Amino acid sequence: MEIFLAQIVNGFSLGSIYVLLVTGFNLMLLVARIIQFAYPQFVVLSMYASWIVLEKTGNVFLAALAAIITSIILNLLSEPIFRRINNIEKVDINASFVASMGISMVIVEIMSHSINNGFPVSFPEYWVGKNLISFGYISLGRGEFYALTGGVVLVAIFFYLLYHTHYGRVFRAIAESRKTAKKVGLAVFKSSILSYLIAGVLGGIIAILFSMLLGSASPWLGESVALKVLAVSITAGLGNLKGGLYVGLSLGVLESLAVGYLAGSWANVIAFVLMLLVVLTKPQGLFGTAIE
Amino acid sequence: MRNLFKLFIFTLIALLIFSGVSLAENEVVVDKWTIPFLNSVTGPIASIGEYMSWSAEYAAAEINKNGGIRGKEVEIKIYDTGVEPDKGIKQMSKVVDDALVVMGPVAESVIMGAVPLAARNGLFSMPVSTSYEYANKYFPWTLSWYPPTDEKLPPITQLWAEKNPEMKKVVQFVEKRAAWPGMADAHQIGLENKNVKVENIEVPKNMVTFDSLVVKALSKNPDGILLTTNSDKAAKIIKKLVDRGWEDKENILVFSSADDTPLYTTGGKSLEGISIYNYINPNTDNQRWLKFKKAYQDDHNGKNPGSLATNYYDAVYMIKEAIENKNITGDPAKLKEERKMIKNYTRNVNNFNGIQLTWDMENGVPDSKGAFLFKIVNGEKKLIGEIN
Amino acid sequence: MSTTFNYFIGFSLIYVLMTWSIYLPYRVKDLHFLSVAIMAVTAYFAGVAAVNWGWPFYLVLISGILLGALISFLVSFIIGDVPTFTVVIVGITFIFIIKTIIENTDYLGGTMGFFAIPAANNILVIIAITTIIVGYILFMIDHSQLGRAASVIFEDKNMAYSLGIKPKKIGQLFQTISGAIAGSSGVLYAYFTGSLFPDFFSFHLVGTLMTILFIGGYSTMWGVVFSALFLGGVPILLPSAVSSWKTLIYGILLVSIILIKPDGLITRKFLWKSKNKLKEMRK
Repeated sequence: MEIFLAQIVNGFSLGSIYVLLVTGFNLMLLVARIIQFAYPQFVVLSMYASWIVLEKTGNVFLAALAAIITSIILNLLSEPIFRRINNIEKVDINASFVASMGISMVIVEIMSHSINNGFPVSFPEYWVGKNLISFGYISLGRGEFYALTGGVVLVAIFFYLLYHTHYGRVFRAIAESRKTAKKVGLAVFKSSILSYLIAGVLGGIIAILFSMLLGSASPWLGESVALKVLAVSITAGLGNLKGGLYVGLSLGVLESLAVGYLAGSWANVIAFVLMLLVVLTKPQGLFGTAIE
Repeated sequence: MRNLFKLFIFTLIALLIFSGVSLAENEVVVDKWTIPFLNSVTGPIASIGEYMSWSAEYAAAEINKNGGIRGKEVEIKIYDTGVEPDKGIKQMSKVVDDALVVMGPVAESVIMGAVPLAARNGLFSMPVSTSYEYANKYFPWTLSWYPPTDEKLPPITQLWAEKNPEMKKVVQFVEKRAAWPGMADAHQIGLENKNVKVENIEVPKNMVTFDSLVVKALSKNPDGILLTTNSDKAAKIIKKLVDRGWEDKENILVFSSADDTPLYTTGGKSLEGISIYNYINPNTDNQRWLKFKKAYQDDHNGKNPGSLATNYYDAVYMIKEAIENKNITGDPAKLKEERKMIKNYTRNVNNFNGIQLTWDMENGVPDSKGAFLFKIVNGEKKLIGEIN
Repeated sequence: MSTTFNYFIGFSLIYVLMTWSIYLPYRVKDLHFLSVAIMAVTAYFAGVAAVNWGWPFYLVLISGILLGALISFLVSFIIGDVPTFTVVIVGITFIFIIKTIIENTDYLGGTMGFFAIPAANNILVIIAITTIIVGYILFMIDHSQLGRAASVIFEDKNMAYSLGIKPKKIGQLFQTISGAIAGSSGVLYAYFTGSLFPDFFSFHLVGTLMTILFIGGYSTMWGVVFSALFLGGVPILLPSAVSSWKTLIYGILLVSIILIKPDGLITRKFLWKSKNKLKEMRK
């Protein structure tokens, strides 16, 4: 029994990774109407930025700042690319998927060739912190705890902001129809930039949480999770923030149990097969898409 | 009379030309020796590939400083293959028409993909970092640097079991990559020889968090852990074990292919006290090795040479010896024969002076080489046992 | 012909075939990643049939083509009329499932890979002939009513319905043919390289094929020919230091094309203009 519980706890911490990433991903869908497949790579590159700062200065505050600034810059740089694609009034999901795949390839190659010779990087102990809870098989580190609570809190915040405030409504209106929004005098360009900025800040926070949770980063870290994040979003319902939270956590727990009780590599497959089943029986996702 | 004289001059000149040709027969035709090296410079074993490139290039630089090979400089040209056979085939196809000999490939899957192409074209490959079983498939177009695995590995894990007699059950983490499952089997044989039970847990290649695997392992109540995974994963698993209270560090053994830089940078203090084995003899105190070691440490932030670091260094020297002893010229017209000469020489070399040991090759198989068991103390390896 | 050039031509043509299998369903806006899973299945089938069962080459090739078509046909019923992204997920899931099965099956070589597939006689010629045949089929489709109907579906599915076109049936047909093409490319790949590795048939390959398709131009079959030669083949000829940056260059090209010329380099308009120019020059 204790082992089962321990695997569930592990599952929650793995799940929080998915939840955080899918929240950023869903945000981009909701307010920018793009499939940002490269979002996990932006996060990983921001992790590298904070690692570089830690190596050079050892200053925790500067490192955290580096992660956030890097993430903001990356997201803002991608804005003109996606704006260009979405100029055609009909939102072309395929085009943004393909463009973000291209961006993803570029970032992974840069990390594999230029940073630390492409080897994984490790975060120092004072950054990662000690274990908070540790009895028997169950162990929860500081990073895992923050990631888990952070995930839930962030989803709650964004949900509230987007659906229960005036500004949120404005954002969503602009996202739904730029032409109409322009006609009614809403600040389309400003809100577009603002949404990428917010995604950037979120990405930086996620990077900090991940570096504490995982204690390391590698060029292929983003790739291992990117496809699953996409699948989580589709399974929950594209753009559905609450759905992303539930499905992300559930996937983490399922994978953890699969790894714990079956041969390792089948864990990946189980996740995808279940998602496939959901998607075929309920194409709009378990909790319904939040966009058309 | 005049005609006879003309004939005489003509014949003399012809003879001179002819002898001029045969005098030049053994002269080196190339400006420099280019040795291609198919290596895994990017990808999951890039950290191993990196120090192998370093070693080959260091050997070349050392040779050039001492007059080169038959007076000409040698250059190592690295071709990156990752761990993919199709990349290996593409890279091999670039060298198969012109090269005298090719070093590597490194990754077993690349060996199996690309060496047949080389063999079909009469090109000899030297995959000197792989196990016997992956080299001997392509004899005589390759040679093996090691005797058969099930002769080589079991004594090491047996030694480890002897040093830690309280171990009754070991969980082995196995990453299903290349030759490692075969090595894992050999590890198991050694342990079972000492009546230690072994349970294997597979580590998926793209694992992100290791908590679930570690909990799974601990649920089997092992008193020993054996890591047959890459360095980064090994370090992370060890950290998670330590997090969950694992105390007998000597009962954790890391295998040789994980003994490279990421193990130490990711593992840090949690590695203190663990056991690790590799093939580098730390007691060697000859000048050549000490110079090599220092240069390596200078270029790698003080870290000691990885387990396979001397392999390609020695390979470059073996090629040099073959070229010198067989008067190889590099003449494209003689490519086929000269390739055969290098192949035959290296596969049956006697008393080859490697940087750490001297050995003989018989039909591509060496007589036995040693293995060394260490304990990590203050980030450094301390020798606690050896097999000859 | 030098060995390098041999491999350059061979790989380029195989990439052409593989990308064409993605091209055809995309004519009706289906991102049919299932093709890559089919390539994996037929490649391993070819390996096992050749090495373990001793089947002759032509039998393997025909069977591989039929197998690919069959798999695609059956799955097309499941895909039906689902939204675009579901097709993507179906494809990705199959790729993962097939890859995991291969990696865990020792008979197929597991993670080490499957090797020693004998070379077929004149494999390069066979690859060239297959490419020409498939190209001809695609040409006929593109220049028929079927092709025109597909273009309408691509622009506006509802319009297509109102014109009496049945997107689902056309989609299924294209997917089945795509499966056959993918099947042929998998078998030819197996014989050409002589070795198979599960990691090859992964999302990376999807990325490469997408790059080739979008840069060449997804609205005509000719764009693929041009970009497959250039993107798939040329890296073989380049020195190692440059070709290791291949994926970076792909990524930059992909983003640039989407920004500058989203329809790709070779479009219908381009072909039409070139044809007219040639006609003028002849006069």
